[in-house]
Amino acid sequence: MKTVFINASPKQRFCASAYFLFLQRLFVWGQKVTEKLRTPADHDRILRELSDAQAVVFSLPLYVDAVPSHVLRFMEKMEAYCKENGLHLSVYCIANNGFIEGKQNEPLMQVFENFCARAGLVWGGGVGVGGGVMLNVYRIVYLVQIGILLLNILLTLVNTGSFYAKDALMNFGKHTAIILYLNLGVLFYLIRMGRFIRRGESAGKKYTRILIPSFVFILFADIFFVICSILEGGIFRGWLAKKKPTEA
Amino acid sequence: MKVILHDLGPEYEALIEQKCDRALAADGKYAPCQGCFGCWTKHPAECFMKDKLHQACRILGQADERVIVTKNLYGGYSAAVKNVLDRSIGTSTPFSTYRGKQMHHTLRYGRRALSRVIVYGDITEAEKETFRLLVQRNGLNEGIDRSEVVFLSDLSELEGAL
Repeated sequence: MKTVFINASPKQRFCASAYFLFLQRLFVWGQKVTEKLRTPADHDRILRELSDAQAVVFSLPLYVDAVPSHVLRFMEKMEAYCKENGLHLSVYCIANNGFIEGKQNEPLMQVFENFCARAGLVWGGGVGVGGGVMLNVYRIVYLVQIGILLLNILLTLVNTGSFYAKDALMNFGKHTAIILYLNLGVLFYLIRMGRFIRRGESAGKKYTRILIPSFVFILFADIFFVICSILEGGIFRGWLAKKKPTEA
Repeated sequence: MKVILHDLGPEYEALIEQKCDRALAADGKYAPCQGCFGCWTKHPAECFMKDKLHQACRILGQADERVIVTKNLYGGYSAAVKNVLDRSIGTSTPFSTYRGKQMHHTLRYGRRALSRVIVYGDITEAEKETFRLLVQRNGLNEGIDRSEVVFLSDLSELEGAL
């Protein structure tokens, strides 16, 4: 069985869509191909991969309550390609949004369902993830923690001749527990969807989120954007002003 | 101020101009959003890409009445129209709040009175349902007092719907 995983984030790197796609891949067996969908130059290459695949998994961000425009352009092309070539593969979707409620991905899921009906494909369902950006940021923090742990083990080895860096291991264990907890809902539903992908069955639509209260999430999100806006200078350029058009 | 965003051909230009204060033609001659958030954090209400949509959010932000004319695509906006909307998130600010018991961004230009979405082209019942949900969600997200969606069976009905 061949499954094509499409990372449809417009970002070059460190995107939440890639993170969730990486997790989903862990729970699907057989031939696995991962593709990046950013520009029209990617279209033909991905369509060729789909020609002998049984399933495709899109991982994408929610933009203005629905599918980002660069993905819509690909879907139109994919519809024509699948009809021309008589393809009836199963389509699954992992959608993530910056708001905390995964349920906000519902219109996007329905657009995918309607797309499948138009293109003669099998709608396999999807997972909508709320707070995807924050889960992704913590993923990056966790990767840094792995680096710190390895460095500490190396220093301990040089200083004492032993690999046992107790404090560093304790700290790393704490971060591992936190990342597992925050991702519990996501992991549960991706493991579940992986089972349905392997069987070629419909998983239905499921919604989950980062496991923290929404008011805490909003506080962290606001702090995050304040820091970004200070670093990038937007805060000093009429940050919240009602800007008028200056161009015709 | 009434702004019309549309993906119609040049043959409709005169009609559209006559029905609004400002028209924005979604002709597809621009790049998609890169998801950088620069229109919030770096150069507020402005996109770093200096094409036709460089200040699209400022134009849409001025509208107390916004009309979108779009071809149906799977129960949502056409890719050309969606591209404009994706590039216009600077109408909100990076700060978050609760609206409709859910998290949304605060509004740079405040609440607006009306948003009407006029949909043309072949459409199924399921797609109509999706479109109604989408327009309702957009209304909540963008702080719109009244959101409407109109389905045209033919573009000859457009003038009356505008």
